[in-house]
Amino acid sequence: MNLAAALRRLPLLFAVLMIVSPAILFFVWMLSLSLKYEIDNGAYPPILIPERVAWENYAKVFQSAAFLTFFRNSLIVTGAATAAALLVGVPAGYGIARMKATRAAIVVLIARMTPGLSYLIPLFLLFQWLGLMGTLWPQIITHLVITVPIVIWVMISYFESTPMELEEAAVIDGANRWQVFRHVALPIARPGIVVALILASIFSWNNFVFGVVLAGRETRTLPVAVYNMLSFEQVSWGPLSAAALIVTLPVLLLTILAQRQIVAGLTAGAVKGG
Amino acid sequence: MAYISRRGLIQGAGALGAAGLAGPAFAQSAMNWKKFAGQKIEVTLVKSPRADIIEKGLPEFKALTGLEVGFEQIPEQQARQKQVIELTSGKPSFDVIHESFHVQKRLFEKSGWVADLSGLMADASITGPETVESDFSSAGLMFSKNQQGKLRALPQSVDYWIVYYNKELFDKKGVKYPDTFEEMIAAAEKLTDPKEGVYGFVARGLKNANLPVFTSFLLGFGVDPVDAKGNLMTDTPEAIEAGKIYQRLLSKHAPPGAIGFNWSECQSAFMQGKVAMWLDGIGFAPPLEDPNKSRIVGKVGYGLMPKGPKTRASATFGDGLSIPSASTKKEAAWLFAQWAVSKEQGRALITTGSGVPFRHSVLNDPSIRTQLKMPAAWLDTVAESAKISRLGLPVIIPVTEFRDTIGIGLTNTLSGGDVAAELKKASDAFRPVLEKSEKG
Amino acid sequence: MTQAATPATPGRIGLSSRDYWPFVAPALIVVGSVIVFPWVFTIYMAMHEWKAGGAQSFVGLGNFARLASDARFLESIVHTLLYTGLAVTAPVVLGVFSAVIFHERFPLRGLLRGLFIMPMMATPVAIALVWVMMFHPQLGVLNYLLSFVGLGPLTWVFNPATVIPSLVLVETWQWTPLVMLIVLGGLASLPTEPYESALIDGASRWQMFRHITWPMILPFVMVAVIIRTIDALKSFDIIFAITQGGPGTASETINIYLYNTAFAYYNMGYGSAIAVVFFIIVVALSLVMLWLRQRSKWNADAGAAA
Repeated sequence: MNLAAALRRLPLLFAVLMIVSPAILFFVWMLSLSLKYEIDNGAYPPILIPERVAWENYAKVFQSAAFLTFFRNSLIVTGAATAAALLVGVPAGYGIARMKATRAAIVVLIARMTPGLSYLIPLFLLFQWLGLMGTLWPQIITHLVITVPIVIWVMISYFESTPMELEEAAVIDGANRWQVFRHVALPIARPGIVVALILASIFSWNNFVFGVVLAGRETRTLPVAVYNMLSFEQVSWGPLSAAALIVTLPVLLLTILAQRQIVAGLTAGAVKGG
Repeated sequence: MAYISRRGLIQGAGALGAAGLAGPAFAQSAMNWKKFAGQKIEVTLVKSPRADIIEKGLPEFKALTGLEVGFEQIPEQQARQKQVIELTSGKPSFDVIHESFHVQKRLFEKSGWVADLSGLMADASITGPETVESDFSSAGLMFSKNQQGKLRALPQSVDYWIVYYNKELFDKKGVKYPDTFEEMIAAAEKLTDPKEGVYGFVARGLKNANLPVFTSFLLGFGVDPVDAKGNLMTDTPEAIEAGKIYQRLLSKHAPPGAIGFNWSECQSAFMQGKVAMWLDGIGFAPPLEDPNKSRIVGKVGYGLMPKGPKTRASATFGDGLSIPSASTKKEAAWLFAQWAVSKEQGRALITTGSGVPFRHSVLNDPSIRTQLKMPAAWLDTVAESAKISRLGLPVIIPVTEFRDTIGIGLTNTLSGGDVAAELKKASDAFRPVLEKSEKG
Repeated sequence: MTQAATPATPGRIGLSSRDYWPFVAPALIVVGSVIVFPWVFTIYMAMHEWKAGGAQSFVGLGNFARLASDARFLESIVHTLLYTGLAVTAPVVLGVFSAVIFHERFPLRGLLRGLFIMPMMATPVAIALVWVMMFHPQLGVLNYLLSFVGLGPLTWVFNPATVIPSLVLVETWQWTPLVMLIVLGGLASLPTEPYESALIDGASRWQMFRHITWPMILPFVMVAVIIRTIDALKSFDIIFAITQGGPGTASETINIYLYNTAFAYYNMGYGSAIAVVFFIIVVALSLVMLWLRQRSKWNADAGAAA
């Protein structure tokens, strides 16, 4: 690459820097908060790198015996709710896209439109009546309200932009509609499924409102547990930031890993479009 | 409301710190702590230093009783929400819960959600000789008994409102700790120096949270927010005067943005040495004396609430432990509640500055002075505040709605609203709610 | 290429619409079974005067009548619409811009893209709490950063006049990546020929974006707009954790008022009535969005054909 070409790319690199820096700065600051004692966290002008590092903020989180339980709960709830959502949501997205069934889409959207708060009391009573309180089932089931619509909506868009020629060819070859879906539409839609998977997982992982009421001591998920770390008699930004970072870390790592797949998936999509 | 009288509160405060003989009779006990060994109870408390003390003592309790305890602390808002939903359902998952008397007392009484503990206390096989009503201050008993005199909670900790002040800032400007509201305003004005980033006063401006700040002033005018007959007093001439003090201190002499401060922002600002006076509950003291958190260790003064035009009053709040009526393990839960408010637990509470127990046998014990981890001035202020204690919030069911509605009016005054008009508007909005709820 | 961009027409491959119902039914059953009971129950509660711990009594539409004259409720509608308007516009504009940027090739693109989407991965509640500290008028890092560019200290969420834009700042920071991801998916599926021929015709970057890219990614942008609209309307975690609707009621949206009514004042009946009205508002706005989406698709077809 010659110099002129490099210069031409400067505005682009500047733009990249501009859009990425708020995210980076925030997490750097959060990391800084998590490693400082309260006295430094409240200092002005702010201190980025403290003289004394408060490793104990992290130690406190890991020492909590329940931490692993909460982590496992989060994994189970998010995993189950996302898997189930993909199972029913991907075919639904396909069906809706092919039917152009806007009305069916709206019915599904209603779940997403309903204010989460209004589920709480009725569902609590229902799950208690069913004897499910104290298990993870109530949370898995309510999280479907979050994950299924997302999967369906992402998949509708994907299937709508999928070329029809291959499916038509398959039908001419005598395939029935399930076979067309399974062997033609599904493989093409893989990048869409990855995006749907990621989005559904995030929304489910981060959900806070349902867990507050539907989770007990044994069934609490991580976000609720982190909020519970808020202490009453003092502002404990250090330990709180430490806990928040620990909670977020697995997801962030997953993002970086899945990032490659997203990129691969998107490239495949571009090839397909051409 | 009438059954909680001001006189009772003062009597109940006791002579803290004075050497005196505690009175529990050490009769031969028929009590068997191990009676329910092997059972499991669930305890859900509100996150607080008080609950921390209990949590620390849990192994001891388990060894004492052989009970299994499922214990957790949840932040206040979530805990209250969870309690109501679960109690409404009739099958709560907990056997012992935290009760904030100043918010939940009337709701819990009226709904019948929490059990009458009188019978349990009378049962000598599960009640120790020192757990007698006479060892609890009358303020505590008033919090925990209903109108029929039934005990529905064990009182655990009382909270008085005081003025934390930065002695260094006061000395620098040659200002003395104020004795009256006027002096307080004058001092705040003198100490405010925006160029230095120093402000004379800070307190909660956030709606709802700010109400005790307002009542702290209102009580100095000799007026309760809701009077003994159940009339709302928040738009009386006295209330408007109190509101003006609130408006002036928080908009003229407080850091910008105080309108959105809750206790935590106030505490941060105060701990950084940027604020000369902070009006809030006495339980927020320990971090101020912790060098890992505070820049003003050793410079904190613990001031008694200044005197209003009519009287000197410290807004007071209380917390206790209750057992749901629907619990199937009330007796085992009773053992827990009893232990949690015991002398030993009470001593741990006060010596760490985490709270102030309601028990004479703790408050009158001279040894707490020697074991105290807080400055002696803190304990003195506790004792003095006890003498001028007065309920900071009305004992009504819609407390939260009251705090929100009036609190919003107060917050509006900080962004330029007229005090009289805002308080009138807020009071008019709340009055029907109050009438409706107290009627039934 | 034209074929690729044209939506599928079922009839063409000999399958009627009905044949696709089995694909859709499981999802409808799953979602329906979770939401039907709460809705029936909510409507039932909305017809009753029902305070926790008290008796219930039937009041018919009384709760709804009360809403119409509840100044705090009406105010919360205004806040909600303002908040939603801003919290949709800003992330969508920035999100489309970011997607276009990330569609280019540059070093470390994968890593930077991963970093960029971190805000939406992180737990909102914890994020919100860190923002609270950054917003602190005296000790916050934001005012410190502003002081470098000579801007006076702001009071951010601690001021009724700036609280909503400040909250939207957080919301934008958090959700721009979602818009970016959706639009990026759209960009990746674009064909390359039109660009090649446009380059030959000497079109500028902006012209290419305006006349080729934009019409084709519009359906994706509309998906993003719909999702953002619904989420912004329902936004709860951030407002709740940062201001709880304050100062005063300056940032009290319908959702926050609903929370306060049902869970702080324990007025289940009235809270349910708010939920019903809120739901109607969300549905109405979503229908408008869907209508726009249909239109945008029509435009996209026209654009692709042109």
